[in-house]
Amino acid sequence: MNGRTPGRRVEVVLIYQSLLGLYGDRGNATVLIKRLAWRGYDPVLTVVEPGNPLPDTGHVYLLGGGEDAAQITAVRALRADGGLYRAVERGAAVLAVCAGYQIVGNTFTVGYQDEVISGLGLLDVTTTRGPVRAVGEIISRWNGRDGDDQWLTGFENHGGYTRLGPRAEPLATVEIGIGNCNDGTEGAVSGTVIGTYPHGPVLARNPALADHLLELALGHELEPLAHHEIKKLRRQRLARVRRSYARRR
Amino acid sequence: MSISTARLTAATFAGRVAGAASRLARQGTGASIRGKVMLKVDPGALGKLLAGKRIAVVSGTNGKTTTTHFLAAAVRASLGSHADRLVHNADGANLHHGLASALSGHPEADIAILESDERVVGDVIRLGRPEVLVLLNFSRDQLDRHHEIKSLGRSWRTALAGAGPSGPVVVANADEPLVVWAALAAKQVIWVDTSTTWTQDSSLCPECDATLIRIQPDAASGLVGDWYCSGCSLARPKGDYRVESGTIVDRSQQVWDPQLSVPGVFNVSNAACALAAAELLGVDPRTALRGMRTVTSPAGRFATAQFGTTTARLLLAKNPAGWAEALPLAQTQTVILAIDSAAADGRDVSWLWDVDYERLAGRKVIATGRRAQDLAVRLRYAEVDYRCIPDLAAALADHSEPVDVIATYTPFQRLRRMGRV
Repeated sequence: MNGRTPGRRVEVVLIYQSLLGLYGDRGNATVLIKRLAWRGYDPVLTVVEPGNPLPDTGHVYLLGGGEDAAQITAVRALRADGGLYRAVERGAAVLAVCAGYQIVGNTFTVGYQDEVISGLGLLDVTTTRGPVRAVGEIISRWNGRDGDDQWLTGFENHGGYTRLGPRAEPLATVEIGIGNCNDGTEGAVSGTVIGTYPHGPVLARNPALADHLLELALGHELEPLAHHEIKKLRRQRLARVRRSYARRR
Repeated sequence: MSISTARLTAATFAGRVAGAASRLARQGTGASIRGKVMLKVDPGALGKLLAGKRIAVVSGTNGKTTTTHFLAAAVRASLGSHADRLVHNADGANLHHGLASALSGHPEADIAILESDERVVGDVIRLGRPEVLVLLNFSRDQLDRHHEIKSLGRSWRTALAGAGPSGPVVVANADEPLVVWAALAAKQVIWVDTSTTWTQDSSLCPECDATLIRIQPDAASGLVGDWYCSGCSLARPKGDYRVESGTIVDRSQQVWDPQLSVPGVFNVSNAACALAAAELLGVDPRTALRGMRTVTSPAGRFATAQFGTTTARLLLAKNPAGWAEALPLAQTQTVILAIDSAAADGRDVSWLWDVDYERLAGRKVIATGRRAQDLAVRLRYAEVDYRCIPDLAAALADHSEPVDVIATYTPFQRLRRMGRV
């Protein structure tokens, strides 16, 4: 494939916005599309709703946050569709955020009766209801990264606590916040599938993670983009969250 | 004087002292602190203050302050020189203490028109036995505090079912599935077809969790919107009142041109709900509309204010549904957007990515407020020209042309104080 040719078509698939779009999750698609366009690619955004098949041509697939009932409907529709499994087999990248992260795991629970629901099994993680809801700003350190890129900043809001199995690696190490289950780990990675709790437009605050997803999908490195407002936002969030955390302690 | 009344009197007095102290200290109107102190001294104060009044309550995520102002103005118009019989929490303080504060300020009033926070509706139904309850809409708002909007709908439904035949007649927005589901527990419902276009916060049936099927309204072809559940019998009820091309059609098919003094199609929908509620309270539509037309800037919304040499119109938007309404109203070449994440705004600003800021392309945007930088990044990705001026006063300074300002709750209140509106 003429991978680096300017104008190359790259498809981003936003899955089930009506079910998994609670926290500005479409922002991740906006970020990926614009970062591709600014580099001269020809990005295509495909928004898929339940009842319509997932395209088999996507490079990056995005799953976002949603309420319990929406989560169950989404996981059933995705299993019946099968397209996400084929995409992962092809080497497409998947970013699964918050409720989306839970449903790509082995199982998760919903409601106060803790009903166990089968996930898609794309990540070796298991989610159960945690002792307290995790709500607030989160800062973590992206495992294996250095420099400014290592800091992942976002907002988490989840009642489920996630434990990793042997076939998943944590994405990051928590500095402030709860993350997976208050065990110091945050998110999970297996091949080209990434799950994480900082919800909604997590890629807006973490452009290195956005570019990492694109690089996974395209199979090569991308030219860096310098945007002063994103750098400034990152500096501001990291400083303010650390300061307020230090005050609380 | 009974012990119970004595305690309420003491509570009211203590509240007034605290409120006056707060005003002297220039901490807002003092309404909130007055109510808080009252409820501390007499936890039963709200129930006692509500007792014996004719009550109408308005709730919903967006539009409740304006709708309550419409309804209060409609009823006031019918009262003529007896307008002091009416009490209204006009400042928008809509939690327990806000209601208590407003009611205690007009102990002689026998009609209460109250805006209520979504979480307080159940208590007001139980404590006050309102005659009329207007339920406008539900959309995601402050998700860091309310994790599931469905649980709010469930609390309304439970309170209405519990009230049974002594509960209120509900005026409900037929275009909002969760509102419909909650309202169906009431003894009687007047449905208002509001032509709502915001559907992003209801995709599953509140009754059975199956997917809702929607038909989008299309003004061009005259197609009306509709929704029904794919799994059970829940479906959009037929409107008793409806909004049609900017007019309100009432129960007897009479068409009213509302000629409101506040902008926006959504305010015609709010007025339709207020009109239905006013009729239930015995106000004829002509008188009701005459009153509603006097509403110009309810609690500062849509007010034009002076900031030094700058003339600015203030618009409030608290969530994606509210922004979808406010953005088309902002027509000036320079638009100021003020974003904060204090508790009252919601601490999470993820919702910025659910707002269609792309539509501002070609205009000059000033991003301000404590979360201006988050907006700056959003605008960068929307490819909208902007300047980031976090300080509110600086952002508003020295505009030679009038500017529209859209603000989240906290900066909106600050702007009201700065602009004295």
